[in-house]
Amino acid sequence: MGADNNQIVAGQYVDHNTHFEINQFLTREARALDEERYHEWLEKMVAEDVIYQLPTEEVRYRRDKKVIGTSQTTYLYNDNYDVLGMRVARFDTGLLWAEDPPVRIRRYITNVDAQWSDTPDEVTVYSNFIVYRSRGQRDDSTMYGKRLDTLRRADGYWKLAKRVITLDQRVILDKNIHCFF
Amino acid sequence: MKPINKLIQQDGAIQDRSIYWDEDIYQKEMEEIFARCWLFLTHDSVIPEAGDYQVTTMGEDNVIVARQKDGSLKGFVNSCTHRGNYVCFSEGGNARSFVCPYHGWAFGIDGQLIDVPLEEQAYFNDIDKESLALKHVRIESYKGFIFGTFDEEAPSLGDYLGGMAWYLDSFMDVPGGMELIGPPMKSILNCNWKNPSENFIGDGYHVGWAHASALEIAGGALASMKGLNDYSPNSGLQVTVPEGHGFGVIWDAAAALHPGPPGVAYQKWLDERSPAVRNIVGETREKFYNGHWDATIFPNCSFLYGTNTFKVWQPRGPRQIEVFTWTLVEKEMPEELKQMIHSDNMLTFGTAGILESDDGENFENCTHSNKGYATRQGTIYLGMGRGRERTDPEMPGLVSDGWVNESSTRGMYRRWAELMEGKSWDELSKTTKVSK
Repeated sequence: MGADNNQIVAGQYVDHNTHFEINQFLTREARALDEERYHEWLEKMVAEDVIYQLPTEEVRYRRDKKVIGTSQTTYLYNDNYDVLGMRVARFDTGLLWAEDPPVRIRRYITNVDAQWSDTPDEVTVYSNFIVYRSRGQRDDSTMYGKRLDTLRRADGYWKLAKRVITLDQRVILDKNIHCFF
Repeated sequence: MKPINKLIQQDGAIQDRSIYWDEDIYQKEMEEIFARCWLFLTHDSVIPEAGDYQVTTMGEDNVIVARQKDGSLKGFVNSCTHRGNYVCFSEGGNARSFVCPYHGWAFGIDGQLIDVPLEEQAYFNDIDKESLALKHVRIESYKGFIFGTFDEEAPSLGDYLGGMAWYLDSFMDVPGGMELIGPPMKSILNCNWKNPSENFIGDGYHVGWAHASALEIAGGALASMKGLNDYSPNSGLQVTVPEGHGFGVIWDAAAALHPGPPGVAYQKWLDERSPAVRNIVGETREKFYNGHWDATIFPNCSFLYGTNTFKVWQPRGPRQIEVFTWTLVEKEMPEELKQMIHSDNMLTFGTAGILESDDGENFENCTHSNKGYATRQGTIYLGMGRGRERTDPEMPGLVSDGWVNESSTRGMYRRWAELMEGKSWDELSKTTKVSK
């Protein structure tokens, strides 16, 4: 395990051991998703109070900060544990034509940087990602972005408590983003 | 390009496959349809205050629609009249002027040229600024829904909506009206724009099959449709109006794609709201208010009332579209209910939506199979329910029993053919006849 709680200061970069654990968690999470082990991901790696979001904003001039109309942010994902569970359950129906033949997805998680949060046993983790998808015979897409995660340690295991995903594309240059990031 | 009467035959039931693929047909569509029809731009609720604006496209023309100081709306082409560069690179926001980054020409939020650098020293004050305004776009709105057209000869937006307006009022006339939650999600689909337009205008047929996996996990009123085993033509209607718009409705199913607590909250809202709606639009349209609709306003604005997804399919060549998706809500709904409906729309028909992903694959593949030369020489078929349409003393257009039908889709292609023939607005059909 990482440093004991007495030494933890909010905002401070995590110690060597904790950083290693976080890195391992993110790597294993990515592999579980790549290998379509969605139930295992949900049950073992995701906290039941998870918030899973992907906001998108208008491309605006730097100086123009005015929120016009109803909002300036739309969420492409704004899921809790139950909704993530619905998405996972859909893979089990055997009726998901768009994923049959299977879609091949490869996740590359980089630039991992973790700081202690002001909540005990939680860390704030910044990371960048590349997600490559290949469908059918020659249909493919690559998406780039960043994630801001909150990971929580309980009973010796890390779990994902919050994820805010940012895609660099405003117009998604693909037919959907039907995959976990 | 084949003659139009070979591209669309049998009252819209037969489509030549080239209309989904050929570049010359696409360019003709830009001329005869997208440069003439009223096209959806945005909603009052998105640009409520002076200087608020949105940048969007009409066909492939980049346009700006802006709220003026007197509350009116103006539209113009986003292209400098000096050397043609865009004058606005933001998707929207609030502005006092639009300044071209090339030579600094500045245009007001009304599109007028207001400032030319070195006007005195280089132009010797000999420049007619009034004649160099940004190209005008005609703007009108219907119950807060803002449309534009390039055609000064086009009828009013109300007349363009024609019989569809009567149906739209079922929900647009609710106390306080409707609003759109944005900014829109945007994504690219490699399909012809007509594939999603025809899907939303009248493809109830695919719901139980294409979306079987989503219906199984979402449950609710539509779940029984899974696998197309259980369906009754009494469960809804399909409507086509001569203006080419149309929709299907499933009775008492507005909240069907909102599983769990949001569905309960939305149903409660509908139940409590219904008496007021009945007072305003009458009993028939109260029924429409409580139904779930799949609809297209010709040519490329589609929505699902109930699920409350609101979309524009922006053409980007014959084989690509850009999809804009907003959430449609009643303005007087509590904020919490609006956000629940918004989240459900993201979950179902957003870019990460569990139904959207089924449709995207089908739209793209329906377009791309026509890449094959021999394939493209053939036709495809929309004959469901043909000859069984009827007129109704109260309801405009042609009405068909059953929301699994292809009557409104045929209507869309009939209008498409009439416009592609280059008919004037006076020559276009004002009525529809039952197919023979």
